[in-house]
This record gives sequence, structure tokens and C-alpha cells, in this order.
Amino acid sequence: MQLLVFVNCKQQVYKECYLSVHTQEQPEVSSSSQARQKLEGLLNKNMRIRMTDGRTLVGLFLCTDRDCNVILGSAQEFLKSTDTFSQGEPRVLGLAMIPGHHVVSIEVEADSLDDTQGFGGNH
Amino acid sequence: MFCDIPNTLSWFSLSLVVIMVMKSAVEDDDAGWGLGIPEKMKNNANWVDITHEFKGACKELNLGELLHDKLFGLFEAMSAIEMMDPKMDAGMIGNQVNRKVLNFEQAIKEGAIKVKDLSLPELIGIIDTCFCCLITWLEGHSLAQTVFTCLYVHNPDLIEEPALKAFALGILKVCDIAREKVNKAAVFEEEDFQAMTYGFKMANNVTDLRVTGMLKDVEDELQRKVKSTRSRQGEQRDPEVELEHQQCLALFNRIKFTRLLLTALIAFTKKETSSVSEAQKLVAQAADLLSAIHSSIQHGIQSQNDTTKGDHPIMMGFEPLVNQRLLPPTFPRYAKIIKREDMVAYFSKLIERIKTVCDVINTTNLHGILDFFCEFSEQSPCVLSRSLLQTTFLIDNKKVFGTHLMQDMIKDALRYFVSPPVLSYKCCLFNNHQAKDYIDSFVTHCSRPFCSLIQIHGHNRARQRDKLGHILEEFATLQDEAEKVDAALHSLLMKLEPQRQHLACLGTWILYHNLRIMIQYLLSGFELELYSMHEYYYIYWYLSEFLYAWLMSTLSRADSSQMAEERILEEQLKGRSSKKTKKKKKVRPLSKEITMSQAYQNMCAGMYKTMVALDMDGKVRKPQFELDSEQVRYEHRFAPFNSVVTPPPVHYIQFKEMSDLKKYNPPPGSADLYMAASKHFQQAKLILENVPSPDPEVNRILKVAKPNIVVMKLLAGGHKKETKVLPEFDFSAHKYFPVVKII
Repeated sequence: MQLLVFVNCKQQVYKECYLSVHTQEQPEVSSSSQARQKLEGLLNKNMRIRMTDGRTLVGLFLCTDRDCNVILGSAQEFLKSTDTFSQGEPRVLGLAMIPGHHVVSIEVEADSLDDTQGFGGNH
Repeated sequence: MFCDIPNTLSWFSLSLVVIMVMKSAVEDDDAGWGLGIPEKMKNNANWVDITHEFKGACKELNLGELLHDKLFGLFEAMSAIEMMDPKMDAGMIGNQVNRKVLNFEQAIKEGAIKVKDLSLPELIGIIDTCFCCLITWLEGHSLAQTVFTCLYVHNPDLIEEPALKAFALGILKVCDIAREKVNKAAVFEEEDFQAMTYGFKMANNVTDLRVTGMLKDVEDELQRKVKSTRSRQGEQRDPEVELEHQQCLALFNRIKFTRLLLTALIAFTKKETSSVSEAQKLVAQAADLLSAIHSSIQHGIQSQNDTTKGDHPIMMGFEPLVNQRLLPPTFPRYAKIIKREDMVAYFSKLIERIKTVCDVINTTNLHGILDFFCEFSEQSPCVLSRSLLQTTFLIDNKKVFGTHLMQDMIKDALRYFVSPPVLSYKCCLFNNHQAKDYIDSFVTHCSRPFCSLIQIHGHNRARQRDKLGHILEEFATLQDEAEKVDAALHSLLMKLEPQRQHLACLGTWILYHNLRIMIQYLLSGFELELYSMHEYYYIYWYLSEFLYAWLMSTLSRADSSQMAEERILEEQLKGRSSKKTKKKKKVRPLSKEITMSQAYQNMCAGMYKTMVALDMDGKVRKPQFELDSEQVRYEHRFAPFNSVVTPPPVHYIQFKEMSDLKKYNPPPGSADLYMAASKHFQQAKLILENVPSPDPEVNRILKVAKPNIVVMKLLAGGHKKETKVLPEFDFSAHKYFPVVKII
């Protein structure tokens, strides 16, 4: 039953979000549209996110919002740092959402950046 | 790979995928969870830090705006697990402790764990914690988070201490047999049971007999020690020897308990009915040890941490995080390990349930068995006892209790219920091959739906309701067939024995089951607290005016069919011999059920009238129907009945017409309705008080009927008519009928 309850409350959130998205989806120009473009360029790129507890998740960037909550697809969890594989195999998480306030650093794979404008270039 | 699927599917499908993965893992335990690292991750790709820019860009987004790909929407986002939420993020807990997590071999190498010369308190403590883990697993948690947090069971071959080795093997066997039973019975859902073994070996290299033998050896050895340390008369008692005696006895009882539990479960795997009573004896013996186990819990070593809140005990031999990386990517349930103090109580209840299960073999009639399953399910039993009941009933899905054919059981049930001429030895149809073909094929078609019906009663209460709704479709088909077979048999009989009839015999029987399922479907909604107060009135209306009315007429038709058959038999007997037939009035077999249905009908009618009257007085809170209406709710509540042909479903419009009070002249007011309700409760009370040898159910209904009689009379007299406080409905006395309370 746990699962059903869980789905139900998620659906509630979904409904609310849905309403807010649809009321705010007016096209805007200026700097915010540029930022949006930047972020859109990153969609479906491989991303590596370090969390506040030291774990690192690697997965495809799928979704974000104003609070920098990020959803990664096909995510894998690495303990501590990905540089050392001594920690053993990664754990497969699938679809994972990292709350913005737990995001320490975000990295994107360089070769997938080639076709992305704006990001990484000035770094 | 399955990890891509969640992107495009919802949570339901995600969980489905996980279940599928689990199921496949069950079949192929060695496959494990190594999904391999994509090539890209292995060679150090160039990662570019974009933290600052990313966060900056995010801030430009509007509140509530989601930036996402066209193919990825909120619906998909819903199924993501949330990191750093302890309820969903299994990796989080593992990352927060500072101790080193060692597996069994590593722990032995580092000397963190003893494999020989364990002290008695250590052994007792380890065994008790293992018992707690076993129970937690049986209550629906994964093996990885429960039993397999005990390092010893990872590889019993490495244990040198004989008692611990035998116990570890024993507990693995118990898990293995329990798992096999639950899997075979297939009456569990993911909230009941986790069948996955994560590739762990369940002591498959050792036979059951060898394990019970090892346990017995350890037991004998301990018994010698217990005897040698026993106090002798006139001897000065050394407190140390006394303590050793106590501890030996404590260990002895635990080992013996394990052995008895295991032997009982092994007995359930055998095909003979006699082994079921054997199992019953064994669990009864095990139950006798429980009080001794309970009083010796303090002899075992305790965990180093505080376990009162259900945290996993940390002690030698246990590492709660050893399997953390094996957990599937769904959000894990945090396994609260049951406390040692509760362990004994759980075992004694489990044993009680298993003993009850064993009693099923004494029931011979299919209706009796069905009632047994219903009654057993009402206690909301655990998944193991439910599964044992299923596997005891249908051994390897072929024969009932391993001896009777389901078809024969159905024929017996038919004889018992309607005595159809075709199944009577004295009827010419009995040996007519065409009639035989008809009835045999009908009975064969019945056997699968009836097996499913019995299986449904093995599921947990919430799932049962859903499944009952679905099985009505199968019974509708049977109903159709039953009517056709009845007609065919009737025309056949008219030719052979024109004085006899074969009208609606099989049909009546199927209709009876149909109605029972429908009634149970509606009533279970009260138990599961699905209905709102403003819905009660149409649910109770449907039950009293419709389903129970149909049930009673069906039962009386069956009763008269039985009587007709008996009369014919009597006449035949009289014709042959002049012996006096017994004039003693027999108790009609269905009379009890007819009486109970009358009582139920009156209770429902009383509740219906109460609800209507309360509504008139403005004492029922109604929702503001914005997106739905009462009709939508009504149709949803009775939707599964649409597949049933007899009785035909009552549609909302019909219900409104039939229940319209304006058709009475003058239309009754709330006081009249309260009075009428009171009379119904009074009637129910009268009927029930005249039931010879009342069972607990009769007393439970009486507990509701009596106060309601009084409350309704008070309400009819205008008591607290002006109060705006809503009445309360107290379902504590009976699951389906509340005591109405006016505050």
C-alpha cells in the first residue's frame, strides 16, 4: 500500500505543478530566454553531479527548475569520487531527482559539449 | 537496459519493471545486479565544471517552471526517486556512517567476527536477532535488509561453532521453504512479501534432513550440558553453574524451536494429508517453548545501539549495511527490525495461525472450505500462513488436500446446496450419458473460477476487493452456462420422468455465489474505509433492497429444491418398502444462512433509513460536487456489477426512482424514518437472539443493533434535532455496521 499512497501524493504535486506551469508559460524575452536556451542545450547530455554527502551521480540531464532541482535519467550512484573505481561498482538508480540545495557541483561531459553553445566555453 | 525505461513510463510501470526484474532474478539468482559500467564512464572522460553557470541560469527560470525536453514531462518526473530523502534514497544511509562495512570473509580476516568459541550469551543474542530479522522479512521487507544482514548466514560453511552453523543452516532452510511456499501460493503482492534472494545461497547444497539432523545433534549435546549443570539435592548451588545452566537451557530451547519450525515447514511440503496434522503437532510443540524463550531473552548479548525505535541492531555478526549496494533502484523501505520482546509474541501468533490453517483439512464441503477461507482472511493473517493455507488446499494445483478432485468437490457442493436431480443416484439422469456429459463439462468449467475464488481469499484484504470485482465477469459466464445446462437437462428429464423438474438448479447455485461475491465486494468497502459518509445511504440501499433480497430468494429456492428432491426420495422409499419413514423434523441445512441473511438485510435497511433521515436533518456533510456528481460516484461504486447479468445492475436513475420518498403519501419525515430504522434494528436483534448456539459474528452484530435501537428512538423523539454537530459512526464493534453516535 505504501506505493499507492506514494503515487497518490506525487499525483497531487503533479496536478499543482501542472497548473502553475500552464499559468506561467508566457513567452519572455531578455536574459531569461538566453538562460533557458543555455539550459536547453544541456538537455540529454551526460552530467555528473556531486551531492552534499559526497556521493556522485552520473546520468542524463532531463529536467531542472528555478531551485536547481535536477532530474537525471539512467543515473548511477558512485560513492565518494568517480576518479577512483576502488569503491566498487556503481549502483544503478534509474530516474533520480537531486534537490537543488544538495547539489555541490555540476559537471558536463566535454565531448558532448562540442555542439553546445555558451556553456563551458568561458570556463 | 531497464534503467532507461523509467524515463518514458510512469511509476506504475516503473514498479512493474522492478517487479519483473525481481521475478526474473528469482528465477535466475546468479545473474545478480552487476549491470556493468558504460564504456564511457571507464575511460576518464573530460568533465567540465559548469556549477556556477548552471545555477545562475536556473535562477532565471520562473517559479514553478520546469525546463525539460519535449519527451520528458511532469508525468515522467513523478517517477524519479528523490535523493537525500531517507525514505527513498537507500544510498544515503550507507554513506552516513563512519564505520567500515565489512562482508563475512573480510570480517573474519579482520577478526571482527568469531566463527568459533562463541560464548553462550553471544550465541543467544545472535539467534534472537536472527529471529527478529526473520519476522521482519515475513512482514514484507527484503531479505537483504533483514536475514542477510546477519553475516553468518552468508556462508555457513565458514562457521566452526557447531551450534551456530546448524542454526544458520536451519534459518536459511526456513527462509527457503517459506519463500517457496509463498511463491507457489501466489497470493502476495509487493506490499506483502519480497521474494528476491539477491543471489544468496539458501543452503541448497545441504539436504533438509541433514540440517534437521545437525540441529538435533546440537540439541542433544546441549541437553547433556543442561543435565550436567542441573542442581542436585543437598548441593551448594554455585551461581556461576546456575547461570551456565540457564544459558544452556536458553540455547537449547532456541535450537529446538528452530528445528521444530523447520520440520513443520518441511511437513507442509509433503503431499499426504497426514503430514498436515503432523505439522500441526510440531508447531504446537514449538509453541510450548516460546514462554521459556521469552523469559531468557536477557541472557543474550544486546545490540550496541538503541533499537527501541526499530533501528537495525548493531552487534557482532550483523552488518545492516552489508547489502545496501544490492538494493534495487526503487525507493527502499526502511526496514524496521522488530524488537526482541515482540518476537515471541509474533511467533506465538504465527503458530496459532498455522494451527488454524491445519484445521482446514477437517472441512469436507466446498462451501465449508470457502467459509473457512473467508473467516481466516478476516483476521488479516500474514502472508506465510495465507500461503500455507492455499498450498494445503490445492496440492500442486491438482487435487483438493491432495486427495479429492475439484470436480467432485463441486458436485458435492451442488448436492448439498440444491440437490439437483442430475446428481441424485435415484434419478434416471444420473446414468444418462448425455446428461452426464452436460453436467461434467459444466462442473469442469466451474472448477477454475472456484479455485480462483478461493485463491482471492488468500490475498490481503485490500487486494481482495479489487480481485472480487474482476472475478464477477467469470461468474457471469458461468451463470449463462448454468442456465443453458439447466434447460437442456430439464427437457431431457421431461422425456424420461415427466413428474420431475430440473429448473434453475445449477443457475441457483451460481447465482448464490454471484450474490455472495457482490455482497462481499460492497461490504469490504466499509472495512477498508473507502466510502464517505454521504455515500453510505446508497451502499446500504443496494445491499438491503437488492442484494440481500435476491440472496434470500435464492436461498429459499435452493431450500425448496432440496425439499422437492427429498419428497421424491421419500415417495420412492415408501413405494418399495412399507417401512415407516422418520417423521422427525430435520433442521434445514440452509436455515442458518437464511436467518443470517435476514438479519443482515435488516441491519442494512436500518442503516439506509438512518442515513436518509440524517440527511433530511442536515446532518450529513456533502462534498461540493464540482468535477463529479453523486451519479459519477454511484456508478463508480457499482461499476464491477455491470458485467453481471443476473441480478441486473441497478443504474443510478433507477435507484433514484426506486428510493424516491415522494411516492409515499404522505412522504415520510425524518422522525418516521428514524422510527422505521429503529424497527429494523429491533427486527435484526430479534432474529439474532433466536439463533441457536450463536457464533461471535452474531454477538458482534447484536452489539451494534442494540445501541442503534435506542439512538434511533431518541432521534425520532427529536433528541438534539437542532445540533449542528455531525453524528459519528463507530465501526469498532462490527466491520460493516457502525454504532451511530450523536454528540
